[in-house]
Parts: sequence; C-alpha cells; structure tokens
Amino acid sequence: MRAHAFTPTLRAELAQIGATPSPVRLSLPAQPRNIAVVRRALEAVAEELALPRRLIEDMRLAVTEACTNVVRHAYDDAGREEASAMRVDLLPSEHGMEVIVEDRGRGLGPSPDAKGPGLGLPLIAALTSALEVSHGADDRGSRIAMSFAPASIGAA
Amino acid sequence: MTGAAASANGSPGTTRVSIASGPLVGPVLRRVVGMLAARADLPLDRLDDAVLVADLIASRAPAHMQAASVDVDLQTGDRTLSLKVGPLRPGGGQALIVDASVPGVGNVIEQLADDISVSPDGDAEYLVVRLAYSS
Repeated sequence: MRAHAFTPTLRAELAQIGATPSPVRLSLPAQPRNIAVVRRALEAVAEELALPRRLIEDMRLAVTEACTNVVRHAYDDAGREEASAMRVDLLPSEHGMEVIVEDRGRGLGPSPDAKGPGLGLPLIAALTSALEVSHGADDRGSRIAMSFAPASIGAA
Repeated sequence: MTGAAASANGSPGTTRVSIASGPLVGPVLRRVVGMLAARADLPLDRLDDAVLVADLIASRAPAHMQAASVDVDLQTGDRTLSLKVGPLRPGGGQALIVDASVPGVGNVIEQLADDISVSPDGDAEYLVVRLAYSS
C-alpha cells in the first residue's frame, strides 16, 4: 500500500477534477461475475487514497452486498445483460469514500424470489457511516448511496 | 439504435469504465483490465500484455478524449479481450496509437495487440484494441 504521505497530494488532484460527475463510474451487466470487477475497482481507488485496511474490508463487504442485491433481485432475465443494468460510482470524499450502486430494475420493495427481509441492508447499514436507499433516476430501479469514513470502522 | 446511442448505452455484455482524467485512471483501469483478461482465460503473459496496454491507454488517452474522462468499453470472449476507447477527438484514435511509442521499445500497443482499428462515429471516433490468445 502507498504511504499515507501520498494522500494529501492525491486528494488535491482529485479536488481539481471535482466538476466531473463521478471520478470513477462502472456500468456493467448485472451478473454475479461482475461483482468481482466492482470489488477490484473499489480496491484500486481505496488503496490509492491510502484508506485503512479495515475500512477497505468493510467497504468491500458492503459494496458486495449492494451489488448482490442488484444481481439477485433487480431484474428478470431480460434486463440484466444490458451494460447499464448495474451502475457503480466511486467518489472519494474528504475523509473516506462514497459508493453509489444503482440499477434500472424492478425497484424497491419485496422481491418475488425472496422469502423475507434479508440481512443485506442491515449489514450495509452497520458497515457504513451513512446510508441512503431510494428509487433510481426517473423513479426507476433502486439506488443505494453508502458513505464510508474511518470512524465507521468496526461499527458492525 | 444509432451508433452514438449504442455507444452511450453500451452493447449487451459490455463492461464500461469511465474514470475522470487524473490519478485514478491508471490504477483503476489496470485492475479492471487485469480482472477481465483473467476472466477471458488469457494466459499469464497475455494478461500482462493486456495490463501493459491498459497502462499506456491510461497515460496517453486523456490528451485525446473528447471529455475530461477516460471511457473504455471492455468485452470478453473466448480467450479474447477487446477494449474500445472513446469517444476520442477527431484524429484522436491515430494520435493515441502514435503516442503509444516508447523510446527504445517502439509502439507498444501495435506490438502487443492482435487487432487495432479506429472507428469513426459522428463527430467522434473510437480506438478498438483486441488482445487474443490462440494456442
């Protein structure tokens, strides 16, 4: 991992590109194998920011849960192969990172293939410093915005 | 669907990564490309080649992109990985290929890729690089 001394420089550089809607955006089919792609990109950003290892582990777990929700519940077979089926934004923030996972699927509410409320969202809530669950753009699909900061480490 | 619209939405099965020009382009792109090259079942030496191409695109592409981000569509096939870089400025595709020359080494993308093409699309163009392995 890079030395923490690198971080202020990187943050200054990132501040200069703040006008960009999202520093890193992934648009992928909602397939299980693509969750690993999201995790790799997340690790790359987190390590460049020199975030603490435990925070990175929490982020990996929470983002994996959010993406798994999209893969398992958001789509019937028709829509999941679209490149925009699952969209993940990675946004470095002042003290950590915000991650937004968005889909264009069936939206919030009970999934027909779920027997009851799962552990995914409570787990994500426990791992994040802030969590916002809402409808996606145009009231379509769902959007999970997760904030991570070193203070949230071990909150679970 | 028009070509531009198809590019905006991506082809089915495509992974699109869009990274704001800056310090995250290299680290993110090389990891995503490495991951997808492994998924495409490229052998280790070709996986290394793919990561090297990704590094070169990350360092050279920002100067030729239309927007302030590096956008790459990635598609895997049977021992094949394709990278579609763009939208690039007019002439940006060829300029990016030329920029991939390293003193003493030559043109890295041309040496490592199985196919390189530049496809125009309206006011923009795309550089398509394909890496494959045939046993």
